[in-house]
Amino acid sequence: MRRNWRPPASGVDGVRVGGNLDPHAPEGPNETAWHRRKLDYQLVNPANRRKFKVIVVGTGLAGSGAAAALGELGYEVECFTFHDAPRRAHSVAAQGGINAARDDTADNDSLQRFVTDTVKGGDFRGREVDAFRLAEESMRVVDHLNAIGAPFAREYGGTLSTRSFGGVQVSRTFYARGQTGQQLQVASAQALQRQVKEGTVTLRVRHEMLDLIMDGERVGGVVMRNLISGAITAHTAHAVVLCTGGYGSIFFHSTLAKNSNASAVWRAAQHGAHFASPSFIQFHPTALPISSHWQSKTILMSESLRNDGRIWVPQKPGDERGGNDIPESERDYYLERKYPAFGNLTPRDVASRAATEQIRSGRGVGPLRNGVYLDFRDAIARLGRDTIAGRYGNLFDMYKHATGEDPYTVPMRIAPGAHFTMGGLWSDYDLMTSLPGLFVGGECGWGYHGANRLGANSLLSACVDGWFTLPHAVANHLAPQLGREPLKHDSREVRSALKRTRSRVDALMAIGGSHGPAHFHRLLGAILYEGCGVIRTEETLKTAITAIRDLREEFWRDLRVVGSGERLNQELELAGRVADYLELAELMCVDALDRQESCGAHFRAEHQRGGEAARDDKHWAFASAWQVAPDGGFVRHHEQLAFETVPLTTRDYT
Amino acid sequence: MRLIIDVWRQDNPGDDGRYETHEVDDATPEMSLLELLDRLNFELVENAQEPVAFESDCREGICGACGITVDGDPHGPQQNTPSCHQRLASFSDGQRIRLEPLRSAAYPVIRDLIVDRSALDAIITAGGHVAIPGGSAPEADVLLLSHERAEHALDMAACIGCGACVAACPNGSAHLFVGSKLAQLSLLPTGKQERGKRARDMLAEMEQDFGPCSMYGECAKVCPAGIPLTAIAAVNKEGLRSFFRHKDD
Amino acid sequence: MSSSVGQRPKYKSSTGTFPGADEAALSMGHVRSGRVRKKPLVASWVLKVIMAMTGTVFALFVLVHMIGNLKVFTGAEHFNEYAHWLRTVLQPFLPYEGLLWILRIALIIALIGHVWSAALIWSRSRASRGRHRRPGMWIKNFTARTMPVTGIVLLGFITFHVLDLTTGTAGVAATTFQPATPDTAHAYENLVASMQRPAAAALYLVSMIALFLHLAHGLWTVVNDVGVTGPRVRAVAWVVGGLLALAIMLGNILIPVAVLAGVVS
Repeated sequence: MRRNWRPPASGVDGVRVGGNLDPHAPEGPNETAWHRRKLDYQLVNPANRRKFKVIVVGTGLAGSGAAAALGELGYEVECFTFHDAPRRAHSVAAQGGINAARDDTADNDSLQRFVTDTVKGGDFRGREVDAFRLAEESMRVVDHLNAIGAPFAREYGGTLSTRSFGGVQVSRTFYARGQTGQQLQVASAQALQRQVKEGTVTLRVRHEMLDLIMDGERVGGVVMRNLISGAITAHTAHAVVLCTGGYGSIFFHSTLAKNSNASAVWRAAQHGAHFASPSFIQFHPTALPISSHWQSKTILMSESLRNDGRIWVPQKPGDERGGNDIPESERDYYLERKYPAFGNLTPRDVASRAATEQIRSGRGVGPLRNGVYLDFRDAIARLGRDTIAGRYGNLFDMYKHATGEDPYTVPMRIAPGAHFTMGGLWSDYDLMTSLPGLFVGGECGWGYHGANRLGANSLLSACVDGWFTLPHAVANHLAPQLGREPLKHDSREVRSALKRTRSRVDALMAIGGSHGPAHFHRLLGAILYEGCGVIRTEETLKTAITAIRDLREEFWRDLRVVGSGERLNQELELAGRVADYLELAELMCVDALDRQESCGAHFRAEHQRGGEAARDDKHWAFASAWQVAPDGGFVRHHEQLAFETVPLTTRDYT
Repeated sequence: MRLIIDVWRQDNPGDDGRYETHEVDDATPEMSLLELLDRLNFELVENAQEPVAFESDCREGICGACGITVDGDPHGPQQNTPSCHQRLASFSDGQRIRLEPLRSAAYPVIRDLIVDRSALDAIITAGGHVAIPGGSAPEADVLLLSHERAEHALDMAACIGCGACVAACPNGSAHLFVGSKLAQLSLLPTGKQERGKRARDMLAEMEQDFGPCSMYGECAKVCPAGIPLTAIAAVNKEGLRSFFRHKDD
Repeated sequence: MSSSVGQRPKYKSSTGTFPGADEAALSMGHVRSGRVRKKPLVASWVLKVIMAMTGTVFALFVLVHMIGNLKVFTGAEHFNEYAHWLRTVLQPFLPYEGLLWILRIALIIALIGHVWSAALIWSRSRASRGRHRRPGMWIKNFTARTMPVTGIVLLGFITFHVLDLTTGTAGVAATTFQPATPDTAHAYENLVASMQRPAAAALYLVSMIALFLHLAHGLWTVVNDVGVTGPRVRAVAWVVGGLLALAIMLGNILIPVAVLAGVVS
């Protein structure tokens, strides 16, 4: 931590530079920080726990874990999901695996190596001390999820099996075929449902969070919309935990689920919660390219495919031949060529950028020339079709379902697709946001992944937050509040929150324009892919900001929400989400424009060295945490990032 | 391609419901069934009509949110494929198709094609879990589990909870859903500690909403996760086991 | 982005009434409030086990019955001796027709259990399915779908068969029917006389086809109802069940065919 350091002024109009944020991390060495912090945490007597009420929003890996763990400990938990069942949260779609620094294989893995990989993979824009907690708890997480019913892949000897993943050179990814997310998610949802049976957790499904209830400076509850009846209800508690996932679907075409959204975190941001690194968005290199207008999303193919598949494009731009017709000598295995040490297993940001460059240079493949090949020909020849089918069978089937092409015989086509948001609500070491009483877990937070997340670290961070961090941190927050009651439902605060929410919904319903929300969402996605996508420049970002403001204005003038608000209305749901995207999108672009460097997934074309991202640690070794000012302007606060154990180096995957 | 769609419209659970006919003339064979509905809804909204409510989320065939009955077949004409992966290539140009919700007495319609499948979750809540408190789990590498058993457990754990098996069954039976969960958890070292109790609890809950199994085999034909029919036998296996042993494990 | 001023608020602050759903369920995000049925005294899966057990008893009975009946090809004397032996076996430990009555009582109990379970299963199936039924299931799952039909045909046939060849009730049995006595049996003559009536032979034939359909699906169901999950055992049981059903049908059909063809007379 450098003294007398001042953050750079912002080159973006209207951005003010705020203050330094304190992560509240324990003093002393990072290796032992979590151990010491846990000793410092205050406890709540088991008999007193039921006097505290905690609201958990979201039932993904982080949410179901946190709700189940807090319920099990004896707190009164009220848990919400907008799905019809807790199991459906988008954690379910993660395929590859969950990392853990268990050193299960003799390839010289260790806790420190895990931290180094995570910090370095995140291009030194995450919090190192958080990565230590992630590494330390990763060992228990696998044990716990295994015990609550997730069947991990096993060796013939009966021990856990591992595989390697992009960005690391050891094998530390534990998996369950290509459905690891599903297995962990279902196991966690079941654990949550066990608490529902025990009566410690009240689970309300088909409820979407529309607002926070503020109790002075602190967060005192949430406002929910019942998606069936349209009823808008207030729920108050001693603490609120948001586990509402990422906002990648802001790009319209993304690997996220159709209903994933940013409304909960954006509402928190509007109440003053700082929003960290909104422009750090990971584009997954192995998504399926868009091939028709009505294609609703870019389906994700697991990164694990890169273990055996080779990525290539034709050497000649505009080559019209089919993949199998292009001879070996005319193929460019560009990742193997440019990054011989990591080859096809370079981290996601590097792989996505390289693919984007190839596509932009006219070497893209497929009908719209917007993809690259991922070829299993050599792997099938080397290992046999059965081995490949054993490893990736369900992914191949999925690809075939989605495209009608058989990847056993024709090379797969892949393209970068918006995937994971490393940015999210800023939180301190205890996962509490800048609003007291409001906690975050999983992808809706920030912290571990810096500017780029390593494969199989997202399931891990969600599980660690939910099962083994939030239960301690929330308890510490609750302990001093013994005797304090949550807000009454007829209090001024609750009534004003309800009124605010209703008038917002009324406003959406009352515009009476001519286009549905999907129309605006699609337009916004196109603006963002162009302006704030894999490769950004000052020009694209400025153009995007103007376009977003225009689109937002048009939205509030020309939106039409058909139907009524008093019953299930998916148009209204989407309208609310798109309204929030239209604001968050501007902040994303402002953040990208403001940060005068390239780091991880944030690649500013102006800042590169020989085609590689050029970080500027002298000026930008901090996380931007944005505050939305009441006048709609943005204030950039900063958290200086110090790296004790991982020396600041330039990422080099060649 | 042109498709004529008879789609179920129902305003609320108390409503009788009816079919409404629409035409889409710019569909393409690689579009999914849900993208066809997206397309239809886009046009309805542009014309200020209420879109057809249907459920979907991941559109990758794993979340289990989607489920539409097409001409009587839950999920659609292609076997073992979720609605989000059903391609229009299965239909011919000019074909008339009938879309309705997943049907079962246990699944009341909420609106249009959206049903309430909470009866399935009630079964999981009743017993489809493992009682290991956070932090108390034994070391996963010490609990040895053979490769074969782990893979078998994964076969059974592949269930995505879409509930199409129930809608496919002429008896409205949930045996495939329940059996796969019972089989999965009884294969695991921790899960089998409460095997008997789990079977009692889940079967008692299942009994109240779902029908008996008559081995039609329709469930396994629609299951997007490819759960095999052996899961059905697991229901009675676990039931008989718990009945005769009369123990919790 | 301001809210419209002066507009009547459109939303109720608490969960209002909602057609077709009760408030408690709605507040949890469900519309399902009731259950299809109260927890029954005997669970459906138990009923299925009862059907499997009683069905197996019947299957074994018809197998033994068929093997016995095939003695008809060994001639009148042998066949009648067999019929007589059935009545006098284990005497004096058992009274005359003792074993036969034990078997009859066991079969009657099995029949009651089987039919009672079937009726309950049928009605529960209908209740759980609800009012929207899938079209085309008759053709797709013919044997499974026709279990109640073949079952009723078999019930009717059993009644006829008992009246025809056991009690010899007038109007059903052939006019030449002679009941068994402690000294001798006339099973052969009765059988031939009955089968020589084309209508009786045809009914017998149709019933045996129904029996095949019922057994083919029934025996496969037994495998599942007793909880056999091993793939090898299931595969073997599927084949054995099918062969058994086929053998029983063919064996039994052979008799009226032989009678009508004059091979047995």
